Formats: sequence, C-alpha cells, structure tokens
Amino acid sequence: MSLQPANYFELFSLPVSFQLENTQLEVAYKKLQSEFHPDRVVNADDRTRVQALQQASMINDAYATLKSPLKRAAYLLKLAGIDAEEHNQLHLDEAFLIQQMEMRETLASLIGDEDLEGLDAMKDSIDKEKTARLASFEAQFTASHFVEAKSIYNQLQFIYKLLDEIDKAEEKLLDY
Amino acid sequence: MALLSISEPGKGKPQAHAADNKVVKKRAIGIDLGTTNSLVAIASEGRAHALCDHDGLCLVPSVVHYAEDGKVTVGYEAWLKGAKDSRNTISSVKRLMGRGKEDIHYDLPYEIVSADNGGMPLIKTAAGNKSPVEVSAEILKTLVRRGEEELGGELEGAVITVPAYFDESQRQATKDAAQLAGIKVLRLLGEPTAAAIAYGLDRKQEETVMIYDLGGGTFDVSLMRLEQGVFKVLATGGDAALGGDDLDRTIIRWVLNEAGITDELSYAQLNSLASIARHAKHELTQSEQTQVTFEQWSGTLTREQFNTLIDVLVEQTIKACRRVLRDAKVTVDEISDVVMVGGSTRTPRVRERVSEFFGAEVHTEIDPDKVVAVGAALQADVLAGNKYGDDILLLDVIPLSLGIETMGGLMEKIIPRNTTIPVARAQQFTTYKDGQTAMSLHVLQGERELVSDCRSLAMFELKGIPPMVAGAAVIEVTFQVDADGLMEVQAKELSTGTVSSVVIKPSYGLEDKDIEKMIMDSYSSAASDKEARALQESRVEAERIIEALVSALVVDGQSLLSQAEYARLEEGILQLQKTIESGDSDAIHEASEALNEATLEFAGRRMNTQIKTALAGHSIEEID
Repeated sequence: MSLQPANYFELFSLPVSFQLENTQLEVAYKKLQSEFHPDRVVNADDRTRVQALQQASMINDAYATLKSPLKRAAYLLKLAGIDAEEHNQLHLDEAFLIQQMEMRETLASLIGDEDLEGLDAMKDSIDKEKTARLASFEAQFTASHFVEAKSIYNQLQFIYKLLDEIDKAEEKLLDY
Repeated sequence: MALLSISEPGKGKPQAHAADNKVVKKRAIGIDLGTTNSLVAIASEGRAHALCDHDGLCLVPSVVHYAEDGKVTVGYEAWLKGAKDSRNTISSVKRLMGRGKEDIHYDLPYEIVSADNGGMPLIKTAAGNKSPVEVSAEILKTLVRRGEEELGGELEGAVITVPAYFDESQRQATKDAAQLAGIKVLRLLGEPTAAAIAYGLDRKQEETVMIYDLGGGTFDVSLMRLEQGVFKVLATGGDAALGGDDLDRTIIRWVLNEAGITDELSYAQLNSLASIARHAKHELTQSEQTQVTFEQWSGTLTREQFNTLIDVLVEQTIKACRRVLRDAKVTVDEISDVVMVGGSTRTPRVRERVSEFFGAEVHTEIDPDKVVAVGAALQADVLAGNKYGDDILLLDVIPLSLGIETMGGLMEKIIPRNTTIPVARAQQFTTYKDGQTAMSLHVLQGERELVSDCRSLAMFELKGIPPMVAGAAVIEVTFQVDADGLMEVQAKELSTGTVSSVVIKPSYGLEDKDIEKMIMDSYSSAASDKEARALQESRVEAERIIEALVSALVVDGQSLLSQAEYARLEEGILQLQKTIESGDSDAIHEASEALNEATLEFAGRRMNTQIKTALAGHSIEEID
C-alpha cells in the first residue's frame, strides 16, 4: 500500500490530540475518499483497483477511529505506546466498580418495571458522566499522564457499554 | 498496476482526464434486475432514460423459458410460454439467488434439484439443469444487448442494482451472473440508493429520506441518511409477500362477492378475472369509477370503494414504515423526502396515505417502474468516467454484520453492519494444540448471536501453519469487503511471516472455475484465438506499464530517485521492450510483473507526495 501516513491524524492533516475539529476531519475525509475510492478507477487494471481498495479501506478505518471519542482515546493511547485493551492491569478503583454494579442493579429493576421514563432519566445522568470523563481523559492525556488516562479510558468502556444496554432495553420495551 | 493510478500527479482522476482529452463518450448502462420485471437505462449529460423495445415496451419480465432444443427465450415471449409450459418457464429467479435449497420454503411452478456439490440449487428444465445464476445471466444478456444496440458498440460496463438487504452470497451471485453474461460490473448499487440518485437527492447536503418500494409481489422500505456525501442505509424493512398482486386480489374477491359466484373457477376464468382486476386498478388511478364486466355480470367500482378494499394492505405498509423508523431511532418529522418506487405506488390511495403519514415531500415525478434503472444509469455514466460538474461519491455501508464462528456455536462480529465500505478488518487467532498446522474458519453474516441463526458464507481451512507450541503461532486473518459488499479473506502467520491467501468458496455460489467453464462453454473459440488474445493482452499490459513509468520518471524521477535507482528502472524498461518483441505472452507477462514490482517503492514515494499536495488543497482547484 502506498498511502503510508505515520498515523491516522497525519492522514487527515490533524494534530495528534484528543480535541478534534470535526469539520476538518469531515472535509479531509471526503477529499481523500474522492481521490482514492475504488469507484475512481473502475476501469483500471487489477493492481490499481486492489490498491485503491486497500487505500479506501484504510481511510475508512482511520475516519471511524478518529470520529468516535472512545476509539480515538484508545488509538491515542496506542500511539503513546499503551495497550488500552490490556486488561491484566485494570486501573479501576473500587468505588467505580461498586457504582457500576449498583447501576446494573438499577437497570435490571427498571427493565423489570418496564419503566421507560426511569430508563430515560438514567441515560441522561450517565451521559453526563460520560461527558465529564471524556474531558478528564483529555486533560490527563494532554498532560502525558498516560496511566491515569488509561484508567479513565477503561471506565469509559464500562460507561459506553452501559449506555448501549439501556438503548437495547428501551428498544425491547418499545417493540413489545 | 501501481503507477497507472498516479499517472496524473496530484489530479487523481486519470479516467476523467483521459475522457476530456479524447472526448470519447464511455458507454455504460444501468440495470434494474428485478424479481418480476427488469429494465435497462442509459444516461448522458446527467440525464437518463429507460430503453424500450420496438413496441415501446421498456419493462422486460424477469422470465426465462428453456425449450427442449436448448433455445432460450427471455421477457414477454417467455412469459407467454409460461401459461402452457410452466415447468420450463423460470420466473422470480431473484428469490433464489445466493440461496440454498433449504432456504426455499415456498411452492415454485418448476422443479428444484440439488447440485452435485450440495451447494446451489438447480432448476430442472427441458434444456438441462440451470442454476439461478445462469437464468439471471440470460435476463442480463437481453438487457445488455438492448443497451449495446442503443449505444452502438461494446459497453464499458454496467451498474446493477440489488436490494439494500442483499447479503454477500446474493450479491456475489448477482455479480457472477453478470460475469457469465459477459458484462463488467462497475458497481453493485442498492436499489433505494439508485432511486435516491434518480431524484438527485445525493446532491443535497444533509437529508433523511425514505424509499417506499411497492412492487408487484414485494414491499421494501428503506430509511437512508445522506451526510457529507455518504449515503447510508439506516434501516430496512418490508414484507416479502405483499405487492400489487394483492391489490388485484381484493378486486377479484369483490367481483366474486358482488356477482355471487361461489363455484370453483377454471384456470382460464381466473386468468381473465385477474386481468380484469388489473385493468380496473389501472383505470382507478385516473378515474373516479370504472365499469367492471366479468362474463354475464357487470358492476361499477368506485375509487372510494377500492380504497376501502385495500386499506388494510396499505396500513400494513405504513406499519412497516413505522417499524423501520423505530429501528433507526428516527422520528417521522426528520424525514425530508419520500421516494416512491414500484408500479403499485401509482395507486392514489397509497400516495395519499404515505403523504399523510410522512408529511414530507413525496416524489412521484419519475415513472416508479423506471426510477431505479434511471438512478443506476446515472451512476454508471459517472463511474465509466464521463464527468459532468461536481463529482458525487457514493459511499455505501455493509447491510449485515460479518463475523466468524467461535467456541460454543457463537458468532463473533468482525465488521458490524452499517460500517462504511470498502473496509478491511484484521483479527488474530492462535493455535490451541502443540504442533497444530491447520485451523478452520467459518465465516458468517447476520445480526444474531447463534451461528445457526446466521447465514453461512464460507468455511475454509487454513493450512501450512508452521508447527509450534500451542499459542505460539499467531494467525492474522484479514477480512476485506469491497465497494460492492463482496468479501475476500487473507491469512498470515505473524511470527514467521508465512502468508496464505485463502480463496473463499461461497457456500451457495459458483466457484471461479465453474464460471470460467460456463463462459468457455458458451464460446466455441479455437485455442489459437486464445493464444493470440493472450499475446495481445500481455503486450498491451507491458506497453501500459512502460508508458506510465516513463511519464512518471519524467515528472518525478529526478526528485524522488537516486541515480542508481533511476538507472535500474531504465534498464528494466529496456528489458521489457525486448521481451515484447519476443512474442511469448508468458514471458512478457512475467517481465511486466517484474518491472511493476520494481516500481512499487517509487510509486509509494510519489503517492505520498501526491497526498501532501492533495491535502494542501491546490491540485483539485487547478484542474477544475
């Protein structure tokens, strides 16, 4: 593959940071795709088409990685030499884990009661926690406190998963 | 070939550029390969129209008849033969594409047999067993011929539409059919996407649109979002057994009821009643009432009565729309446009209810039977390299998740649904036994957790893993999905670097060699012809490589290469030129490959320079 940026940020001419100009990402993404998408070379020979396919795939993956805050966080940690998915050394404090367990119990009882309003309220409050943690991830990462940043990332993983489960529960209740 | 793609540094649109220079119109067609009817359209200067036959009929019934003497008839003629020879007349073959025999749970007027290899079902006809791919290829051939006649010459290729929910096997089967029909697929395009393109909705900035497609026998509804030039299918739904035929049946029941007919009707009587009903339905799209006459009985059917008759059915379609909105978590007032597709959307009551429900603009300006083909033709024209004004890029998403079987019969998703394609994802596996040299993988598509609820796409064995202790070998499997939604799998053992490309054998598709054989069967070309063609092709390939390399060297050779590197490439060019004169196609091919390999590094450096230029924002303005 000929398109070999040092990292995904460079691919889109963005600074390596958690803070991200969404518009700039969109514009750069569109520009790259309109240049490298396989649709641009449908009549070329196999090798050109394979190359376009690989490049467009990479651009899509880079875009998806940077667009999602959670994936972006993991990617930044990876660039800093930290494996974010390495779970042997989860830096989750006990208070957080207890809180998570309580939340799961609350979720279970809300589902049992088919309490849509309660689910909505719960989602709102967890959403706020998410926003707060994303901000502190940024602060820690920018200060090169990678161990702390990783621990916040691992908390965010729990939070995203919980939000996803609330969504699924709501869907199920509405479906009925 | 690496260098060709960048033969116009910084411009990145060699196709369009070439077309500009030569002012050669590239010929391409759009094909709507439908369950009941198919259609071909062409586009020029951003406008498209469907192609009709000598009698002015544009729709080609998707029906193929096989006679005992091997004669194949397609379209109306085949449809007429169906009345007398239903066992040899294949209709609705689209329902069988990429499906196994066990998927067919409904009655067909023709007989299905299993293939020798247990995979794809075959249809028994007087002319031998035919696969759904072969039957579809016959329909495609008819459409391609119509396109060639109109455009006067060989075609660059075709855009063929497929339902948004078509999975890998169904898409692959469609592409195989095109290959068999001898037409190059520029792109497999989702039907709702095509309909949206026909209305130019792809040119709007941000839109949420609903495509309401009520055909002869199927109802599909798709919710799409356009965001920054990306067309995404958010959710699809519908009813595979609801369509215009059901509207007709309400009239048939009404006639039987009003006329007090309780006796069993003959086949001929039913047939005539069906056509009377269809006629009445068509009349009522224009008139407030119509006279219905069946044998001795005659009565008046008003549009209001008809509306009441079909209301239950129309409500079913609205319910499906509601479900799709809920699936995608989109509210009805977010919808800005509704596109009507399929002949049955001509029914006034359908339009009324859809318009009431959505409260958005309902598009009916383009003939709903032709709108999908029209969109496909517009896209085909752009893909073939004919450029008009802005270039629109359609980015599609994968409609169903791709994954593999893991322990306990569970499906692990590797590429989730709605991921923008093309996409490549790698997954690492390890051996679980000492000295293990093979590993089997089961590739699946679907949303459910259990393997048994997903569609099996392929099973393959990865061989040649170097024997090591358990867990030491790391095998990276890369799943690559192209812009058409078709998949390829590659595997690599990371600790030793052993690469093993795996060609997936589609569970219900054809193998490449089958297709090749079928294509060979259909031609009776002599071996010498083949040899001459191979030589010609290898020469053209070699000349193209030389040409591209020379022009690249002129532009960037001095700045990006060392003297030694430059000299090596020059030497390579001379070598290849000598080989071209030898007249040995294999040798030419090999020498081309070798030179091409030697240019990869150079191509890489040029690509990087090009990207920097592109992102600096100069190049695009410069050409336009």
